[in-house]
Amino acid sequence: MLSAALPTAAAFTREHLRAPLTLVLLIWIPVFFVLIFATVLGDFATALGGTLASQSATAISAGWAAAFLSGTLAFFQVSSSRGADRRLSVAGLGPWRVATARIAAACAIGIAVSAFAFVTLWLRSGIGHPLHAAVAILSFAVIYIGLGALIGAFVKGALEGSLLIILLFSLDAFSSPEMTSSGALAWTPTRDAANLLIAAGGGQGSPSADWLGMAAVALGALAVALAAFWRAARTRAE
Amino acid sequence: MSGGEGIAGGEGIAAGSLAERELARQPARPPVLRVDGLEKSFHRGIWPVRRATAVLKGASLEVRAGELIGLVGENGSGKSTLMQIVVGLLKRDGGEVERPARLGYCPQVPMLWDKLTADEHFELFARAYGLDEKARERAVAGLLAELQFAKYRGYRVEELSGGTRQKLNLALSLMHEPRLLLLDEPYAGFDWETYLRFWEMSERRRDSGMGILIVSHLLAERERLDRMYELCEGRICAC
Repeated sequence: MLSAALPTAAAFTREHLRAPLTLVLLIWIPVFFVLIFATVLGDFATALGGTLASQSATAISAGWAAAFLSGTLAFFQVSSSRGADRRLSVAGLGPWRVATARIAAACAIGIAVSAFAFVTLWLRSGIGHPLHAAVAILSFAVIYIGLGALIGAFVKGALEGSLLIILLFSLDAFSSPEMTSSGALAWTPTRDAANLLIAAGGGQGSPSADWLGMAAVALGALAVALAAFWRAARTRAE
Repeated sequence: MSGGEGIAGGEGIAAGSLAERELARQPARPPVLRVDGLEKSFHRGIWPVRRATAVLKGASLEVRAGELIGLVGENGSGKSTLMQIVVGLLKRDGGEVERPARLGYCPQVPMLWDKLTADEHFELFARAYGLDEKARERAVAGLLAELQFAKYRGYRVEELSGGTRQKLNLALSLMHEPRLLLLDEPYAGFDWETYLRFWEMSERRRDSGMGILIVSHLLAERERLDRMYELCEGRICAC
């Protein structure tokens, strides 16, 4: 299965990296989020009665950069290639191999985005626990790959899908730890990853519950992404 | 949907029209596609205003090895839906489809990746068809020569003209020399020379034993076809 899926994944990754806008966003989004969005996030937290410190806001913004770009690109992986992927599937590759190739491509792009976000954060403020921060940023990316692919499997329109991702992202970002005095949402997909990233940015360790929670959500997101990519590549009823 | 490399020998078609009597006189060739009583409805809207539109209401047809068959019908008569069900892109509501596992499909709208080159498309589809590198290169070289677009093999799809995209679309369906070839409006965007070359290619493959079904809303080259089905109101109304 992998012998067919891996070269296909390489082709799918090339396909996305050949879009000039993707390359620009790959660099610009982490810079924008870590340098500008972090300040806005801090100001919002103050206005909402939260306690998000400037250093924490900077750290968590690197995670949001990886999440936003990975989720958006995963959505477009599903929505823009649906017909061609399905044709390749019925030609003999099968929906599982196509889905595996797509998820591998999405993860490759997610790793690249996370690496840019990590380096930007490092250069901006330094990182107390680099390894913890790298894993947390990558988890942000993986969680949003799941959400982006899920939206792509059900929403065909580029505008509607992009708006849904922005809505989810906004709900998630403004309900993150220390953002409000009351805690707007009891649970969000990136809650544990955000806790870990804030702690890692300040050089602190994290409780094992955060690690386990983050791992469970990231693995769940990968399973959701695989199912969404499979759904997009299979025989449809309508 | 039945798979397998061959499908069971079909019953003779009842002699009616001139074409059917002509077919009955020919030595029996194995069917490569048999569609029987195909039904398909599309559902639109949400409850309580959800409505169903029946597109196929029991369509039946057969294609034998070495036959070049046309399928015509008005816009919205269900031609492309029938083809997508045969290929496996759409599920059917009822009826039976028997076809070989190895088939070629050229969709009406090229289903390609804009940012990948023609060569990268050939690589991806060769892997899906199970062709090794040698077989792929042999097939691709032949098709590029036949369709005369070798100089574009390194170009991305987004850089190709509509006609060259269509050539790639067609070439991808042919590179594994399938036993059954399904072509949905395959010559849209072709210039006259390419259009004529397309028919010559189709006839050569028909003569070598390939079963070919061509879908079009307008088939001007009826004399090149062995038979022609017409789809009206979701059923075959003329053969």
